[in-house]
Amino acid sequence: MKKLLSFILVFLLIVGCSEILTRVKPYEKEHFADPKMTLNILEGRTEHEGHIFLIREASAGGDSTFQGGCGCR
Amino acid sequence: MQIIRSLFITLLMMIPFLKTYAEELKNNAFLGIDVYTDNAGVQVYSPTFSLMKTLSKHWLIGFKMRIDAIAAASIRFGGPPSNVDAVASASHKSGFEDTRYAPTFLAAYDDGINSAGAGIYYSTEEDYTGKSFFFNYTRQFNQGNTALGFGYSQASDTLDPVFSRDIIKYKDEKKLDISINQLIDRTLSLQFVYSYIDASGFLASPYLYNSQGFEKYPTKRTGNAFAIKALKYIDDKNSMNFSYRYYKDDWEITSHTINVEWLHDLSETLMIGARARYYTQSKSFFTKAAGDYKDTDKFTVIDYRMSAFDSYDIGIPIKYKTSFDSPYTFSFSIDYYRTSHNAYIKRWYGDKYIQALYTTFRVDYAF
Repeated sequence: MKKLLSFILVFLLIVGCSEILTRVKPYEKEHFADPKMTLNILEGRTEHEGHIFLIREASAGGDSTFQGGCGCR
Repeated sequence: MQIIRSLFITLLMMIPFLKTYAEELKNNAFLGIDVYTDNAGVQVYSPTFSLMKTLSKHWLIGFKMRIDAIAAASIRFGGPPSNVDAVASASHKSGFEDTRYAPTFLAAYDDGINSAGAGIYYSTEEDYTGKSFFFNYTRQFNQGNTALGFGYSQASDTLDPVFSRDIIKYKDEKKLDISINQLIDRTLSLQFVYSYIDASGFLASPYLYNSQGFEKYPTKRTGNAFAIKALKYIDDKNSMNFSYRYYKDDWEITSHTINVEWLHDLSETLMIGARARYYTQSKSFFTKAAGDYKDTDKFTVIDYRMSAFDSYDIGIPIKYKTSFDSPYTFSFSIDYYRTSHNAYIKRWYGDKYIQALYTTFRVDYAF
C-alpha cells in the first residue's frame, strides 16, 4: 500500500509539474506520428510473447494502456 | 492444460485490448497465426481472428477469437520421462493434447482527449475455464504531452483436472496498472508504469509431482511491478525503444527485465527491426535445491519457475504494406528464447535449459 501511495504521489507531482515539463508544441510533434514511434510495433507479437514469458517466467506486470505516440495522429 | 498455464495467464490475454486508441478509431479486421515450439516437446499453434467496427466517430466495438491448439509429449502432463505412470497415461491423447477457445468482446470510446475501453474474456479447454473482465482509461493533458492511464482487470478461473484430486478448484486474479507517459522533447518520450497483482486459490500445477506428491504452493500471492520505458526517434529511418521492469512479490521472487528494440525503415512500405531481451529472477522463499524436499515439507516445488534462473530472447519484427496507402498490412516476427542452465529444468525435462522458437504472422485490413 505504501508503494501505491508513493506512486500516486509521484503521479500527482508529475501531473502538477507537467506544464513545466511541456516542451513539445503541437506543431513539433511530427516525429511522434511516425509509425515506428510506438512501444508495441507488432500487436500480435506482443500478445504472443507476453503469453510465452508468463508461461516460462514467474513475473508479470509493467504493461501499460498507453503504447506511445501522441494525440496528434 | 498445465503446459500453457501460468500464474497470471488469464490477465495477460487482455493485453491486446489494453492499448489506448490515441489515434482515430478505425474499422479493422485481422487474421493471424502464432506458432511456438520448444525443446520440451511442446508445440502450440494459435490462429487468431479479430474484427473491430466503429459505431460512430467516438465508439467502437470489437470481437476477437483465439484458438490455442497444443501438441505435447504426453509424459509432460503427468511426470518426467523417467517417471511415467498411470497419471501420465490418463491425460494422453493422440494429435493435439488440448485445444483452448478464447473469445473476447470489447467496446472502446475515444474523443481525442479521453480514451476508455472495457470488455470480457472467456476461455475454455479440457480441464480449465477462465472468465474475466477488464477496463482501462487514459486521459491526455497539456496538449498531448502527458498521458495518464489506469487499467483494471479481474479473472475468476476454475480448474477441473483430468484425474481426481482433492485441491482448491479455483483461482482468482486482480491486476491494477497505472501509467504516466510524458513527452520530453521532439524525439523522446518516457513512460512509467506501476502494476499491482493479486492472485489467490490454487496457484501450483495440478500435474507436476515428485516422490513427495504433487506441487504445493501458498494459496495467495501479491506482486508489484515497476517499469520505465523510453521511445526515441533517431532520424527519418530509425527509432529505438527501451524498457526496464522490476518485479517483486510476497513469495520473495524478485526479477529484472531489460528490453531494447531498434526499428528501421528499409523503404516507405517495409520496416524491419531487431530486439534483445534479458530476464533474471530469484527463487521463491519455499524453493529448495531440486531433490531436497521431505514428506513433511509444507510446500513442494517442481516447476523451475519458482527457482532462480536467467533467460534471454532475440528477435526480428517485420512490417510490410504493398503500397503506402494500401489497406493491408502484413506483419511477421521470429524470436529465439533460451533459459540458463537449471537443475529443476534438468530434473523435469531432461535438458539443462529450455530453448524455444516462436513466430507470429498477421494480416491486418483497415476498412
